[in-house]
Amino acid sequence: MSQDTATTRPAAAAPEPKAPRPVRRPPSMPRNAAHKVYALFYNKHFGLFLILAMAVLTLLGTLLQQAPDEVRADATAYQSWLDDVRPRYRGWTTPLSAIGAFHVFSSVWFKAVCVLLALSIVACTTHRLPQLWARAQHPHTHVSDRFFDHAGLSRDREVDIPAAQAFEQATASLRHHRYRTIVDPRGPGLNLYADRFRWGPFGTVLAHTGFVVVILGALVSANTGFKLANLPVTVGTQSAIGHDTGLSVEATNFTDSYYEDGQPKDYASDLVLYKDGARVAGKTIRVNQPLRYDGVTFYQASFGTSAVATIADATGKVLFKGGIPLEWSTQDEANVFGKTLLKAQGLEVYAVGVASGGSDPEIAPGQMRFEVYRADSTEPVDTRVLDQGKPTVVGDLTLTFERERPYTGLRVANDHGTAWVYLGCGLMMVGLIMTFGLRHRRIWVRVTPTDTGSRVRVASPERHDITFQSWFGRFTDELAPAMGERPTKTGV
Amino acid sequence: MLALSQYLVVASAMLVGVGLLAYVGALSPRARARAEVRVAVPVGAGGPPVRQPASAVHEAEHHGLAWYGSQCTRLAILMLAVSLVLRSIVTGHGPFANQHEFATAFAFGLIAAYAYFEWRYDVRSLAVVVLPVALGLLVYALMIDGDAKPLVPALQNNLMLSMHVFLAVVSYGAAGVAFAAAVLYLAHPWLASHIPALPSAETLDEIGYRAAVLSYPFMTAFIILGAIWAEMAWGSYWSWDPKETASLVTWLVYGAYLHARVVRDWRGRRAAWLLILGFAAVLFTFFGNLFFGGLHSYA
Repeated sequence: MSQDTATTRPAAAAPEPKAPRPVRRPPSMPRNAAHKVYALFYNKHFGLFLILAMAVLTLLGTLLQQAPDEVRADATAYQSWLDDVRPRYRGWTTPLSAIGAFHVFSSVWFKAVCVLLALSIVACTTHRLPQLWARAQHPHTHVSDRFFDHAGLSRDREVDIPAAQAFEQATASLRHHRYRTIVDPRGPGLNLYADRFRWGPFGTVLAHTGFVVVILGALVSANTGFKLANLPVTVGTQSAIGHDTGLSVEATNFTDSYYEDGQPKDYASDLVLYKDGARVAGKTIRVNQPLRYDGVTFYQASFGTSAVATIADATGKVLFKGGIPLEWSTQDEANVFGKTLLKAQGLEVYAVGVASGGSDPEIAPGQMRFEVYRADSTEPVDTRVLDQGKPTVVGDLTLTFERERPYTGLRVANDHGTAWVYLGCGLMMVGLIMTFGLRHRRIWVRVTPTDTGSRVRVASPERHDITFQSWFGRFTDELAPAMGERPTKTGV
Repeated sequence: MLALSQYLVVASAMLVGVGLLAYVGALSPRARARAEVRVAVPVGAGGPPVRQPASAVHEAEHHGLAWYGSQCTRLAILMLAVSLVLRSIVTGHGPFANQHEFATAFAFGLIAAYAYFEWRYDVRSLAVVVLPVALGLLVYALMIDGDAKPLVPALQNNLMLSMHVFLAVVSYGAAGVAFAAAVLYLAHPWLASHIPALPSAETLDEIGYRAAVLSYPFMTAFIILGAIWAEMAWGSYWSWDPKETASLVTWLVYGAYLHARVVRDWRGRRAAWLLILGFAAVLFTFFGNLFFGGLHSYA
């Protein structure tokens, strides 16, 4: 090869088309303000600031203990929770609580950053889309000689064949590499613009749109449908799902099994689902195998023991018959307890048993303690330890403790946002693959006649892209022999 | 078979250590001086190549220290791969179910990603940052309980477990390479005068970007797969679990980096710091189980 010069010096930026300057009137004040807001949102610095702000808030929510939603919903429970974490955060506890640091992800700060980031993405995308379209459909095909001198990648060589033939071969070679070629009729010489993957940059639009769709999907999840974090269903009983679904679920069996080292092996619940009293589905659910029916999903979430009891009033009328799941444990973890509310009577009946591995001298194996409270009081009306199968008067009620039975804890969800979130995730993935895998490659070729043949100049503004750099080198290497390269005297 | 798997991890750790010493030796100015004396002047070449490899001298030095470093690294990758396969055969699931298994797989991903970038970009100086991290992970894996344990119910989805964590291994491996490039980029003004083989700051910046560009889609994919799996197992695609939020922090930092690259005054040093911050977030996400519980407490 004669003259074969590759440059990797700082490149001149790709030439952009110079659009004619429209004559505009000065915008009115409201339009001006709106434009400034729009400009703020598509400003890259602002977008970067919002991403980092979201990262900082998320980190804060990771490092600081977060109060569960159900705890925050109850002022007393939240106060108790704060007292629990006070030894850890000491004097910072109250200020941290005041600024929402114990519920970062539902705080006004986090929500504001999410909304602003979504708006920023929308503004950026709206602002950028016409530019991407112009670059893909109406590329700037004409460049100056200076561009070939200063481009990030360039090759300059002299060949023996006439300019028209060299130009034709360069065009054919680029087409062979699946480049779109556009001939630029303006001189000097013969000029060609070639590009590949011109739709690749639209991947950023898809990826960013996907992120916004994920945020919208999360909003849909939070504000529509319903979620029951833990619906305990005692084996042999039915529980209504509510929320106008007409659904009720019956647990016919629950089994838990363990490996030899005590690690849990399997939790399985046999469920039967009824809609308006008619059986509509049945399945053995496990942790990774939920039951789905008509948009409602039943997940295996927890398990425990229920106290199966019958509660009757003084007249013998049965007020409650079923299982009272012992869902909670006392602070010393010696006991487990559950409750049922008798709304009409304004009473709460607590069943208290002995926790697994715990002991209570008052409650012998096979017994259960029942405590009756008025709904507005913390002092029990009456407390009795009951043997199985013996009706006993507790307060104004007659309680019969039938037996202990397992219950299965179900998480029940009707989440309309999930599909949107998945759609957003899909868009993000497609967008990322397009953006990073199909980078827009642009090449300009100029062929000018010389005394002995022609001069071929190939250039691309791509900088510091080693993959493309290597391809560019190989491509121009392949091009040379086809054009009848010959030694020449100078380099550029 | 499990014992053999463990022996292979030990052997890999030793190879990584030896490889690291070889790379350090090869990069020292004294070794460079010796190598340069031995390099023959090529004749008959058709002209200067498009890209002059930063360590072209090492290419000529076929059996120099750097060559041994590369061979040790490749052998370590092979041994770790065999170790992970053997472990999978014994346990019946992907080798990603606890800290020991993931630390080993993470080290494998890191070294494999480094080997890819060494092959692709011909830059060996990254090894002096990547290999110590990989060695640390392997030592950590060997120090903690390495017994093969059956899967707890939440993990009993072999396909999701394998895909979710394998993608994390690839992503974190590439993130480690990006971290190494960022460290060398920031230290370039001081190191360049002492290590002639060090690539240009521009090349390091480019490698950092390429590694991040490789890491980010895999990171996005494994977080998405995690969300799909969480919906299947826990009843919600996102629970603000500490491991989830830590991975979101990592994803946001790398997202910030990719955006910073197109913001004029954030290119270069600030962007490199984001890569370092991003890898710190990766390590925080991985080791977070040691100090925060949550739904991923078994991992």
